[in-house]
Amino acid sequence: MAHKPEYYRTDLWVDWCPGCGNYGILTALTQAIAELGLDPVKTVVVSGIGCSGKTPHYIRVSGVHTLHGRAIPFATGIKLANPSLTVIVEGGDGDLLGIGAGHFVALGRRNIDLTVIMHNNQVYGLTKGQASPTLPRDMRTKSLLKPNIQDMLNPLVLAIASGYTFVARAFALDVKHLKEIIKQAIMHKGASFIDVLQPCVTYNDVYTVQFYRKAIYRLDDESNWDPIVRDPSEEYEKKMKAIAKAQEWGASIPVGVFYHNPLVPSFEERLQGRLRYYIENPPARQSITVNGGAPLIDDRRMRKLFSKKIVPVRSRRPSD
Amino acid sequence: MSLRELKMVIGGPQGAGLETILQVLTTALAHNGYGVLSGREYHSNIIGRHSYVLIRVSSYEIPRSLTYPVEVLAAIDPETVFTHYNDLAAGGFLIYDIGGEDIHVGKIVSMGRHLRERIEEELSREGVEPIIKELVNYLESKGVKTLGLNYREIVSELREKYGVPPAKLVRYTSSIVVGAIAGLIGLDAESIHVGFSYKFAGKEKLVEPNVYIAMRVAEIVRKLYGAPLALEESRLPYTEYMIVSGNDVVAMGKIVGGVRFQSYYPITPAQDESFFLENYERLVVDGEQLASIVVLQTEDEIAAITTAIGASLAGARAATATSGPGFDLMVEGLSWAGINEVPVVITYYQRGGPSTGLPTRGGQSDLFAAVFSGHGEFPRIVVASGDHLEAFHDAVEAFNLAERYQLPVIHLLDKFLANSVVTIPVPSTHDMTIDRGKMISHVENPFEYKRFSLDGPVSRRAPLGHAVMWYTGNEHDEYGHITEDPVLRIEMYTKRMKKIELADREIPEEQRAQLYGSDDPEILLVGWGSVKGVAIDVVEMLEKKGIRVGYLHIHYMSPFPRRRVSELIDKIGLENIIAVEHSYEAQISKLIAMHTGKMIRKEIVKFTGRPIYMHELATAVSRILDGRDKVVLNYGA
Repeated sequence: MAHKPEYYRTDLWVDWCPGCGNYGILTALTQAIAELGLDPVKTVVVSGIGCSGKTPHYIRVSGVHTLHGRAIPFATGIKLANPSLTVIVEGGDGDLLGIGAGHFVALGRRNIDLTVIMHNNQVYGLTKGQASPTLPRDMRTKSLLKPNIQDMLNPLVLAIASGYTFVARAFALDVKHLKEIIKQAIMHKGASFIDVLQPCVTYNDVYTVQFYRKAIYRLDDESNWDPIVRDPSEEYEKKMKAIAKAQEWGASIPVGVFYHNPLVPSFEERLQGRLRYYIENPPARQSITVNGGAPLIDDRRMRKLFSKKIVPVRSRRPSD
Repeated sequence: MSLRELKMVIGGPQGAGLETILQVLTTALAHNGYGVLSGREYHSNIIGRHSYVLIRVSSYEIPRSLTYPVEVLAAIDPETVFTHYNDLAAGGFLIYDIGGEDIHVGKIVSMGRHLRERIEEELSREGVEPIIKELVNYLESKGVKTLGLNYREIVSELREKYGVPPAKLVRYTSSIVVGAIAGLIGLDAESIHVGFSYKFAGKEKLVEPNVYIAMRVAEIVRKLYGAPLALEESRLPYTEYMIVSGNDVVAMGKIVGGVRFQSYYPITPAQDESFFLENYERLVVDGEQLASIVVLQTEDEIAAITTAIGASLAGARAATATSGPGFDLMVEGLSWAGINEVPVVITYYQRGGPSTGLPTRGGQSDLFAAVFSGHGEFPRIVVASGDHLEAFHDAVEAFNLAERYQLPVIHLLDKFLANSVVTIPVPSTHDMTIDRGKMISHVENPFEYKRFSLDGPVSRRAPLGHAVMWYTGNEHDEYGHITEDPVLRIEMYTKRMKKIELADREIPEEQRAQLYGSDDPEILLVGWGSVKGVAIDVVEMLEKKGIRVGYLHIHYMSPFPRRRVSELIDKIGLENIIAVEHSYEAQISKLIAMHTGKMIRKEIVKFTGRPIYMHELATAVSRILDGRDKVVLNYGA
């Protein structure tokens, strides 16, 4: 049964700054969940640390608010233990691409069916505005003592290079568009990444709402833009085009789906190939006991399983 | 006359087949009913550095500890002869390659300068030129019997007989050693065949040429000496043995205990456990797939612990395995599991630190790390296993405790146990239960579920997917939402801390600290982990000399068995108690002091990364009885 987005909201006070881009992301995510009619019990939002980290508490599906940078591995464990759950990762740019960069890359390599939504505001908000990995070099937001000395990381290129099979960008305050992208990402069976441009009204006076409104254009509006890999032979070319497109930054910033490859097997499918009943009977749902408490692997089964480790003692010589 | 027991050192360059020799001999000996224990020493290196196994075989017990001197030293290369010649008992046998007779110790660059110089110095004091030939003569003059074989000539027979290509001949050197030892002990062809068949199960073509070489060498030895080291017929009552390393038994315990998710990042000496589990990822018995285990190699240890926590939140029994440097990285996850009351098992194999200190050697210097690491206060259970059977049972119990009290459990082991191979009776699951604690699968109103309900230290736990719930590393309310309310903070904090008090009441102290030897000892050794076997052996040895000695084995570090330990200390008197540990500080005595207010001042410690050997512990105890307060042990190459 379909519910309205309000059904999926908790009654907690949202403690983001007034005007924060996170509100747009929260609204879009809630709407996407509502429109997909996801079961709140079977849906889990996993977050890291920082402003974005609080998101799960405002949505009435299960929420796991984890450690700085570690949302992806937590989500990986949840999803692999029970692949019937819909698992969505929320993280900031510092969270996912700074402290959590290794996990970000690993998820791409595994192509687990997770949706990663990155709240990209180029700063570390909750610790008062330090530069994050997505802030360009020499840029100086109002909270920085000195211009940024490090180069920026391109999240879309990194995602594509890492193996994410759905890579998109959206603007936090274009809720309708973001909602559609989130829906596509959740529906995609594989690792999805959405770079959400999210203005930080308190610390980032460079990448403001006004800035984005002027610079952003939709990939959908380009008549010949087709990010979908429909045959393995197209993979290389589509990746290259997406990477080239992802380089555009500044006066014109594309949003939309950059790359979408539904042909790569998900990690769950890879596991199913090895474990046979993995999807139907995943780790979290298996019974580990018999007769109300004895181990499933009893003496007889243990002996059979480990027979290669058991050596019989030969019978004594007759003289004994 | 035949022997009750026998010790052997077999050495050679890493990668030269020591593992094969060990497996074949252990299997062959077990097949004849003997109890076998072996330790493995190796460098942090893949091929070339010196590696050896020390094996103790017994006809009357399953050996608990290793000791020197040895009756057999089998050398694959000259380095082994130089490194271990001092380990040989008078009247012992040296098996070596006469092809290397002219090698000078100074030429063996794989050896390390310090050791080369030390040996050169040692030998020059004895007036021996440091050349294999001269060293062999010297050993003979000391009563050692030497058995020089031409390794290359022997294996070259396989060229014609089995068509083994020349480049592969060297692989059969291990069979020469097996054969020489078989000859000395008097192992028959059937035993050797069983040994190689187990080793090469599935690669039957390798069995025949290996058995051929081994029996050929055994025959040479028999002609020269008879079977001078023949063991007594075994008096052990077992009709079968399981041959396992510490890594193996822990993995087996996890399988019996119902592990369904294991994540790990490769690190010595933990990785073999995860390999074992991956080998059993599909639990198939009689053609039926009973279950499956997801074994995930993660990108780092932070991901290893956090994926395991995630899997546990979803309801799977989940674990990770690591050693010191990896555990350091896991600590932020540990604290998160603590505040979120997550049942997760961390199998922690200690090695020689700090940092990568002695990465392939043993130690017990991570006791404090296991017990105290993490920021903030939260309860954890720490169980430390003393031997293989205990490790099996603890691996099962670790999951039960984790789920019963909903907290992280650290299963503390060490490299000595991980890499030692022993023959044990097949463990039984007969008395085992799987206790999932307050796990529920049905929630009446899934929107009103309180994961952290305050009606007791342990709340009903529904896995993700059965109700709407929240988890956060922040302090939280009963639903799992963030709170900074001071009143709620006290309630929630206290609820968590009460778990360890509950565990302290419920887990019997006899299970957490065991007394071996005299139940009314004059002298008490106190230790934990791998000290157990050697301490019990020394206790038995001293009891035969009429000294009433006991060994107090601390099995649980948390909740600490403080009443029992405190009472024993009072009864025996601090001045009669000796802490034994693989560390500099004897951390256990400080942990005991923390819980009981009683500080043990006498200690025997070893931090070379090598095991504590029975002969050196026995000597050290008598030195303490003579008035010393501290003895630092150092035996072993």
